[in-house]
Amino acid sequence: MFDFIIYLTYFILLADFILYTYSFFREKKANVFFVCYLGFCCLMQFSMEVMYHYRMNNLFLVNIFIIGQMIVLGLFYDSLFSLKSQKKFVKISLLVALLILGIQFVMDWNQFLRFNLFEITLTSVLVVVFALIHFYNMLTETRKYYYFNIGVVFYLLTSTVLFLIGNLTHNLSKEFKFLSWELNAVLLVLYYSIILYEWKFSFAPKKRKIN
Amino acid sequence: MKLNSLPEKEIVAIILYTSLFFMIVAVVLIVFFYFSRKKIIQKELEKKDLILQYQKEQLHAVIFTQEEERKRIAQDLHDDISSKLNIVSLNSHLLTAPNLTEAETTEITENIINLTTKALENSRKIAHNLLPPVFEKFGLNAGVEELCEEFESSKSVKTHYKNEIDFDENDIDRHLHVFRILQELMNNSLRHGKATEIWISFVKEEGVNICNYEDNGIGFDNSNADNQKGLGMKNIDSRISFLGGTINITSEVNNGIVVNFTF
Repeated sequence: MFDFIIYLTYFILLADFILYTYSFFREKKANVFFVCYLGFCCLMQFSMEVMYHYRMNNLFLVNIFIIGQMIVLGLFYDSLFSLKSQKKFVKISLLVALLILGIQFVMDWNQFLRFNLFEITLTSVLVVVFALIHFYNMLTETRKYYYFNIGVVFYLLTSTVLFLIGNLTHNLSKEFKFLSWELNAVLLVLYYSIILYEWKFSFAPKKRKIN
Repeated sequence: MKLNSLPEKEIVAIILYTSLFFMIVAVVLIVFFYFSRKKIIQKELEKKDLILQYQKEQLHAVIFTQEEERKRIAQDLHDDISSKLNIVSLNSHLLTAPNLTEAETTEITENIINLTTKALENSRKIAHNLLPPVFEKFGLNAGVEELCEEFESSKSVKTHYKNEIDFDENDIDRHLHVFRILQELMNNSLRHGKATEIWISFVKEEGVNICNYEDNGIGFDNSNADNQKGLGMKNIDSRISFLGGTINITSEVNNGIVVNFTF
């Protein structure tokens, strides 16, 4: 059952990636950073799965994923914003965050091999702030990536807590060890489904428009 | 349970970071809410300002047209009636002059009679222009019929008028607006559109009175903003809002104009 959910997330993610890539190349409508984000997610999931099968410690990939997600989504929101001050805010906060994280990793390399609480909090908060700024912009303008934005806020708020307690789950008994990750998988299914719905809403060829 | 093997420091850090995360998110959400509210209120204010400005413009148009109408009436009175009455008065003074021959007296009297007849006719015409008696006595249908006849006879336009509604006489105040709108449209068609044929029809659809108006004039470019709101159009707009109806104007260059409005 658990495996099924995990493979379902892979399947939906792959479908998302293919559909958005299709819209990007055929109609030049999908945002380039968004396609990059989906591709990045695919790559990460795939390499994690591979490392899992070779019984390697793939925890550092989580760190790469979290930081990469912040960078790509930051660039994505940067491209959506039109106000100069907002663009500046995104760029500066991204740079500052990367700088702080870089210093942290230089000082203590071991942080890379476990759930880095500071990093998780910082990146999630930044992406949530970007998403909320986008919500604020959409109050009076046309809705762009509206459902995806809802998905980001929803998924990040819940999954961040799961990542934060990640180090705790190491030491739980076998029975409960994977409970939080099962929950995370279910959340991912929802998240990727929302992205799929976003595609259907904004990019799917509309046939029934002619009434 | 192997939970105890985890250093206490770690657990405290997890708790701290989790609460910190939620605190920051809560603050961000509150700020978000605050700014959103501000933005929405500002948008609403802008909307109200726009409505106010629109109303002001309408009022302006009403006052302006009133003045124009007064000027027109004053001119009509001055040109058609005062001048004639002046000559009548002069002629009457001539009559009082001594030593007039019989022939002269008859000529002067004839003059006076002719002029007064003309002045009478003109005053009737002016009054008629202001408010057609047919409309007042027999209602909108007869009024529009007469309007069409007038345009056909005097201005070489072919009109096609069709009515499927039985108008209620108690609604004459509202019908006057409809009549004025049609008058304005027809004048526009003639003056600006150079139309040679005009179609007017009243239909009732699902309890709503609809008037369809069409001409074959030169029309105008609908997308051009300059064409949107002339004074006449503003006048029509405010009449439509009096009637609580809707108006839809479509036109293309060289393809005439189509106007549908409800009342």
